[in-house]
Amino acid sequence: MSSQTDGSTGARSAILGALRKSLGRTALDLDVVAGEAQSLLGDATRHQPKFDDQTSRARFIERATSERLTATVDEVAALADAPAAVQRYLQQCDLPAQISHPPMDCLRELDWGAIACHETLSPDEPVAVNIADWAIAETGSLVFTSRSDSPTLYSYLPLHHVILVDGGGILRYMEDYWAMIRAADTAPPRSTNFITGTSGTADIEAQNIRGAHGPRFMHIVIFGE
Amino acid sequence: MQQTSHKFKDNVKHALKQPNLRTAIDRTTGLLTSRRRETLAQYPEYAEARATAERIKDHTLDYLDHYLEMFEKNAIASGAKVYWAETPKQATDTIIDICKSHDAKSVTRAKSMLGEEIGIGEALAEAGIERVETDLAEHIIQLADEPPSHIVVPALHKTREEVAELFTEHHADPHKTDDVAALVESARRELRPKYVGADIGISGANFLIADTGSICTVTNEGNAELTTTLPKVHIVNVGIDKLVPSMGHCAVFIRLLSRAALGTEISQYTTYYNGPKRSGDIDGPEELHIVLVDNRRTEIFDSFMKPMLRCIRCGACMNHCPVYNAVGGHPYGYVYPGPMGAILTPAMTSLEEAGDLPNACTLNGRCQEVCPVNIPLPDMMRRLREEQWRRKLTPASMRVGLGFWAFAVKRPWLYRLGTRFSVVMMRWVARAKGKITSLPGAGGWTRHRDLTAPQQGTFMDQYKRGRRS
Ligand code: SF4
Repeated sequence: MSSQTDGSTGARSAILGALRKSLGRTALDLDVVAGEAQSLLGDATRHQPKFDDQTSRARFIERATSERLTATVDEVAALADAPAAVQRYLQQCDLPAQISHPPMDCLRELDWGAIACHETLSPDEPVAVNIADWAIAETGSLVFTSRSDSPTLYSYLPLHHVILVDGGGILRYMEDYWAMIRAADTAPPRSTNFITGTSGTADIEAQNIRGAHGPRFMHIVIFGE
Repeated sequence: MQQTSHKFKDNVKHALKQPNLRTAIDRTTGLLTSRRRETLAQYPEYAEARATAERIKDHTLDYLDHYLEMFEKNAIASGAKVYWAETPKQATDTIIDICKSHDAKSVTRAKSMLGEEIGIGEALAEAGIERVETDLAEHIIQLADEPPSHIVVPALHKTREEVAELFTEHHADPHKTDDVAALVESARRELRPKYVGADIGISGANFLIADTGSICTVTNEGNAELTTTLPKVHIVNVGIDKLVPSMGHCAVFIRLLSRAALGTEISQYTTYYNGPKRSGDIDGPEELHIVLVDNRRTEIFDSFMKPMLRCIRCGACMNHCPVYNAVGGHPYGYVYPGPMGAILTPAMTSLEEAGDLPNACTLNGRCQEVCPVNIPLPDMMRRLREEQWRRKLTPASMRVGLGFWAFAVKRPWLYRLGTRFSVVMMRWVARAKGKITSLPGAGGWTRHRDLTAPQQGTFMDQYKRGRRS
């Protein structure tokens, strides 16, 4: 059912056959395997870095603005206030009042004021604004998933990546995100992107340089509580 | 790549003569090891994470057949096509067939060590397909026409000055100043149009998630996502050892991988892919092909080297290896250098072709200590040496020398006579200086430093004195 060519079918049975021969196992009790796998997950708090004295929001901001992640953060009361925050950022960076954003209704419906918006994305797009689904406090990461109104490339092509994220959507750990997805029991999206800070490289003499291929600047606007 | 491991000693001599090599290695491994130390100091849960990771990998290996089938089923359900390949040739044939069926002229590639293993570069060249390496380091070594010298930072052997020269020669609009930021910008300018123009993107995978059929890549630059999202077709080449049962299990490795590799909590881009573009999606590839590659992993699975299949390719073992730090990655003469390479090279080629690699080790144990999945590299190195001895692959001079030593050591009176004689001889050679500046048979030592003559007699003399007092 699975393999695409004869060579592949042969290789498939050779590989699985060799593994089984080496394991010397006859029958497989799937419940036992699942039980073992589950017990290995065990108590994730044992390997999750602790930050009990910090709120998720405080940890997220601390991590995102760290020297390593190099993002800047602004906080506003509601999504409706996001355009003003974007405007402030553009002015600070001395950028023209122009942005690209994905074709999401919630972004289209905002009053962008003096900012000219377009929904196309060029390979050298100067500024793109999009909304993250969630944020992760542990690492200062933002989570994006691909949907028809949420293409992946908005997070990778622009030079300045401006991200709006709901203050109520800051989860503590990666595991919290996966537990939520598992509970929802829907097929995973084509692409789930955990993005942590700006694009960087350490490939020349291990020096950390920003803006390797993806965004060089990241600005996060947290809206709501 | 052309394997040259059997010429390890000559390769080392050559490497030691390279004027810039030590500078280049020190600049990088120095920073990587100190950053790793600092990050781990802030992660008291590390020991627990490491033990859990080891157990998860062992569990996955115990049921690898099951997890591979589970992954395959779920990946197909998400719309991906899955292929299996036993040999590098089968893997590259499969990939080239896919490329040809799309009439591909240009391929972008996001670095993967598996790709190096199967020789994807050579296969694409033979098929007349342009290959654009998008990872900055791979881009550098592609321009220099050199193999990688490290599994995480493949251009580690290049100083910034050398990179600057390469870019000036090859880039359409090169940097104006020689600082590293300007070099990175130059590569960004050069590669941008190539991403957009490519017909196919090829990547590896850091993890395969069995219960969702997802591919996971972990990168810093964002080149993987541009490589896998822009072209119409995405091909993944990946080893069968990359499985983890679920996303929850994967999280443990995400915590360990970047800390071990680069000394950071997490890399910038951790992406999970499930199948091709969905209807209505604006971007993403129309096809996703996954090629699962064995390349002797099933043999490793059935040998004492099985723990090697826990490896997450973080490079920490080589960053901390005194031999690697002295000579770099090229002398190892194969895809994988350093301690993990000294095991994988004989495992994936042969003990004969691997030559001296299992001996390129001081057995100081650092590699296992820093390994995030606790692979007993020194033990395996010892086993390989024994195997070399058994199969008479050890050089004759060493066999004869060890033969004499074994003869003497079994006869204590003879051994003691021998050591006493050596002490007398060494004192005589050192004379009044107390130091030996040259000693026949130990030139390798005395060329660079003096040897102190034993002042207190043999070990047995000292032992007896100690007992009396
Ligand atoms: S052997 Fe261990 S330390 Fe070396 S690359 Fe593999 S996982 Fe990392």
